[in-house]
Amino acid sequence: MDEEIMSTLVNNYPLGDAYDELIGNDGQPRQASRPLFDFLADIDTNTLDARRQTIEAAIITMGITFSVYSEAGNIDRAWPFDIIPRTIDRKEWVRIDAGLKQRLTALNLFINDIYNEQHIIKDKVFPGKVLAGSVNFRSQCCGITPRFGVWAHICGTDLVRDKDGTIYVLEDNLRVPSGVSYMLENRQLMKRLFPEIFQSITILPIDDYPIQLHDTLVALSPSDCERPVIVVLTPGIFNSAYFEHCYLAQQIGAFLVEGSDLIVKDDYVYMKTISGLRRVDVIYRRIDDDFIDPEVFRPESKLGVPGLMRAWRKGTVGIANAPGAGVADDKVVYAFVPEMIRYYLNEEAIIPNVPSYLCMYDDQCEYVLSNLDKLVVKPANESGGYGIIIGPRATQEERDRFAKLVRANPRNYMAQPTISLSTAPTLVNHHLLPRHLDLRPFVLQSNQVSVTTGGLTRVAMREGSLVVNSSQGGGSKDTWVVDTEDY
Amino acid sequence: MLSRVAENLYWMARYLERADNTARLINSTTQVLLDLPIGAKFGWDVLIKIPDLNNLFLKHYPKMDESSVVHFLILDENNPSSILSCIRYARENTRTFREVLPTVLWERINGLYLYIQCHAQSITRSRSQRYEVLNQIIERRESIVGLVMGSMSHDTAYQFILLGRNIERANMVTRIVNVNSETLLLGDEAIIKSTQERLWMATLTALSAYQMYRHHVGLHVREQRVVNFLLKNALFPRSLKHCIGEAKSCLSMLPNNTEPMKAIQRISRRLARISIDDLKLAALHKYLEQIESDLSEIHNTISQNYFYLYRTPS
Repeated sequence: MDEEIMSTLVNNYPLGDAYDELIGNDGQPRQASRPLFDFLADIDTNTLDARRQTIEAAIITMGITFSVYSEAGNIDRAWPFDIIPRTIDRKEWVRIDAGLKQRLTALNLFINDIYNEQHIIKDKVFPGKVLAGSVNFRSQCCGITPRFGVWAHICGTDLVRDKDGTIYVLEDNLRVPSGVSYMLENRQLMKRLFPEIFQSITILPIDDYPIQLHDTLVALSPSDCERPVIVVLTPGIFNSAYFEHCYLAQQIGAFLVEGSDLIVKDDYVYMKTISGLRRVDVIYRRIDDDFIDPEVFRPESKLGVPGLMRAWRKGTVGIANAPGAGVADDKVVYAFVPEMIRYYLNEEAIIPNVPSYLCMYDDQCEYVLSNLDKLVVKPANESGGYGIIIGPRATQEERDRFAKLVRANPRNYMAQPTISLSTAPTLVNHHLLPRHLDLRPFVLQSNQVSVTTGGLTRVAMREGSLVVNSSQGGGSKDTWVVDTEDY
Repeated sequence: MLSRVAENLYWMARYLERADNTARLINSTTQVLLDLPIGAKFGWDVLIKIPDLNNLFLKHYPKMDESSVVHFLILDENNPSSILSCIRYARENTRTFREVLPTVLWERINGLYLYIQCHAQSITRSRSQRYEVLNQIIERRESIVGLVMGSMSHDTAYQFILLGRNIERANMVTRIVNVNSETLLLGDEAIIKSTQERLWMATLTALSAYQMYRHHVGLHVREQRVVNFLLKNALFPRSLKHCIGEAKSCLSMLPNNTEPMKAIQRISRRLARISIDDLKLAALHKYLEQIESDLSEIHNTISQNYFYLYRTPS
């Protein structure tokens, strides 16, 4: 297939059962992806392959990597990237953007309420026993109201699309969500790869994210100085997202620090510099709550800073995300978000939740256990796709083992019907084949709320696979929000 | 600037300089050995003596022949000063402070690392391929230095890079001259007479100094003149005096520099006092031992004042 032209590839595209983001049911490109395919139609596969190789070389020299915990010795891997972008129509995006802002606003009202008066529990909208069983609830944070009442300043919300085209929120990542650097780098790669196409279509830019992140963090500074000292607190070079920590620190003009670079004296946080100690105003921490302060949380933690919580409680330093924000990053709490939106904002959720069954309720638990072969069951507090079971794809033995886990700790599990995750054409050995994907936009909130334009599209590179996490063999695509008013 | 970052920048520069120096040394030695008479004392073992790695080498190799020495100096990961190890450390160090460096700099250092990994095998294949690969390493490293000079603000980060590079260079030039004087001191007089000139020529070449020496000093390679040039010439960028001057100007830009400055003054005074012209080999050797200990004192004061200031002993 030396001289094969892309249009033939498109014509041969084996559209599956799932909703395809780029190709409609009629086999023709959707409105937002049409200019992309017009462009690809003139490119032969050799040219496309040559460009793909250029990109792969660029990824290696640019050192865009992520690390995998289990691979001893080999600490970083090149970022897997597919050159066919995922497109979203701007008209649809406007609604998603509003839905994400609405959701994070409600979540932050919830977290602040939970750590203070707990109106939502008293009004019986949210069951107190869910809180009692939450591993991410930090009693040490009770009675605190951070600036603007906001706890989760940076949120990565995972969106999926079902067969009928409905977009759902799959989960809210409110602890230390990662991936935004790859979103930004993917766009850089695409501009290197297809500069022509960016001139001919209106693809909305995404590069304002670092400035928005910077402004979000600056707003948290307790001191009035014009250029507060911001640090990105990383667990270090062996963390899977270390590349991102460096990248963001560089982009927002922050210092990249490890716990050992910081010291707390008289309830102020300082960093150790060559000319002595320097006061730190805002910490963008990429370390879990559990590890940030050995005086308060895990005493054996070497990653954190003793006394950090004292300083934060006194208000001498801003921390994003605030310790304790993870209380709402729990797959059981998730199920109550539509209620929260009604309760705090008096609005209906713009983006629906995936229907969820909570094993803490006996009737729902029975339903889950007798329908394990149809459901996806998830532990409440894991991330990265760890510990979940996809019922229809599991063996009977695996399902039996999981049923035992659920019975032993029902509060810790919830289940959802398998969403068939939408697909998009992905280049696999010179062919365009449908691969499942999701979307992680990033939402920022401090004195104002903003959303990335699009987000990080993660693709399951294996045929039929629904697991998109990079730690488990997923790849990614650039995400184009396309203004279709132009044509 | 964070103490940890300053330390990593300083070492990144030292590692890269060391890799470059080793590459130059191997290439010039390969050239010179071809011209030496049979029986000459100067051999591959000198390359192990210069970085003072005899013991480590003998732990892993039975004898100091060309292929063992070259492998040890270029590719052996047991040798923390091998070119591969140095570039790997430099790269790992760079990863820890990518936020203070221009992005392209990381790409170049990463590129250098990928290059040596990819060409490791061809180094052992033939002298000419080795020569090519080492030259490439030198060139790529020069492009990194150029990038640092031309695209980085001459801020604190820059001063630590420059400081590391010059301290490493000062060490290298001192070690080379010292090992040479030692070799000549111990050698058989007849052979020394016939090889002395070649040996110093090799030294000049290894330090990329031959052309400048001819230009500024003269065509004939005379021991005392070479030593004088390498230690006391103010203008040649690899001479001891020049390196010390550079280190001094870096330190003058840094805070809390009293102690390191004192150490700099000590070595400067020693350098000014000595007259190379009437120095015997034995005295030169002793003198250089003192210089080496002055240099390590400079390094120690830098570490104590900038890197370990608040480090809690673990």
